[in-house]
Amino acid sequence: MAALLLGHLGWMVLGRGASDRWQHLLNVMAAPPRAVSARWERWRAYRGQRVASLGEAQVELATLRAQVAALLTTREAEAPRLAEAEEAIRLLGLKKLLPLEFKAARVIVNVRKAPFGGMIIDQGADAGLSPDQGVIAPEGVVGRLWDVGSSQSSLLPLDAYNASTGVMLARSRATGVLQGLGPGKAAIRYIGNQEVVQVGEPVFTSGLDRVFPRGLLVGYVSAVLPHDVELHVEVVLAAPLDRLGLVLILPAHPRLEIQPPAGPVDATVAGKEGK
Amino acid sequence: MSNPPGTPRVRRFLLALFCLGGIHYTAPWPGLQAVLNSFLVLGLAPGFNSPLAGMAWAAAGGWVLEGTLRLYPHLGGTAFGNMLACLLAFSLLLRWPPHTLKPYWGRQAALVVIHTLLVQFSVSFAAGSHAWGTGWLWSLVLIPAWATLALRLHPPLHRK
Repeated sequence: MAALLLGHLGWMVLGRGASDRWQHLLNVMAAPPRAVSARWERWRAYRGQRVASLGEAQVELATLRAQVAALLTTREAEAPRLAEAEEAIRLLGLKKLLPLEFKAARVIVNVRKAPFGGMIIDQGADAGLSPDQGVIAPEGVVGRLWDVGSSQSSLLPLDAYNASTGVMLARSRATGVLQGLGPGKAAIRYIGNQEVVQVGEPVFTSGLDRVFPRGLLVGYVSAVLPHDVELHVEVVLAAPLDRLGLVLILPAHPRLEIQPPAGPVDATVAGKEGK
Repeated sequence: MSNPPGTPRVRRFLLALFCLGGIHYTAPWPGLQAVLNSFLVLGLAPGFNSPLAGMAWAAAGGWVLEGTLRLYPHLGGTAFGNMLACLLAFSLLLRWPPHTLKPYWGRQAALVVIHTLLVQFSVSFAAGSHAWGTGWLWSLVLIPAWATLALRLHPPLHRK
């Protein structure tokens, strides 16, 4: 009862006149719940934003993963074509350096390491090819055409046991015949033991076999051993015969000397500078 | 009495509720509204067993009356005056239970005057100066009606 009376009295006192004491009291009393409510609303907004951001990030992550997977698949699919394109670019560079009429061919079979194995290219007599035409790659000499079919040809690489190529050494300019010794290796015969041959010396074609013009890079000397009246000179071939994709086929019976056009000098024709 | 013990209390409660509704709906006629308010505060509310219940009814009548008037910048003065008048009437009823009609009329007339003064002072305190109106005159004039009703039809329980 007293509370009822005092409550009314307090109400009247606080609301007396034009002052805003009652409003002020209400504001003061409402401050704690208002603060709690504001914190609650801020927390809800923050949580909602985090949930939304997490959802967006997850969607974006899934999209990016799908894009990465698609790009990887595309890259895997395009990798052979890209490698072939790069090889073709190198071939084009070589073609510009050498003023000869080349024919490009793709190696479709490479069984060089098998007994009596070799390589098969996708050009044959229909492209005007004939046996004993030289085959080169941007890295160096590959070999010669061995057997020419109607649309395919077999290739005799330099490292075949029955392959012979006229070569010369870069420093001594001594000429000899390169014979195959097995995968990636060959030896030069008919080099007199009075010649000075250094390991690492480049070996170029001599042009005397009329298959290759003079000055094409064949390989590098890897070992020199005296052998009776001649030197046994082992050579590591420059052309990567295991991973050839595209090759250039030289014309039949090319000129002995070829003059490269003016421009940057390539290692393939560097032998001409040493002469 | 043949009625069950709880019946008068319920009847008083319903009658007070009726008065509250009447105060609300008779706002266009301030005289009648003042009579109903006086009847509720001085005739019915003191009859409840608990003074707190009576004061609550009196306060409710004051709030409803001020709410329907919509004249004061700050409400509560009429409710406060009603509660004080009801407390006074409750004390008088407890100390001197009425037995006859005319002394009861006189007592109620005095209570109407005191009630009017208390309400006017309370409203002046809470909301500032205001018009007194003529409702108190209507309450005084109609004392024979509402005081008789309060005494005869619903005699205060304290008299039993």
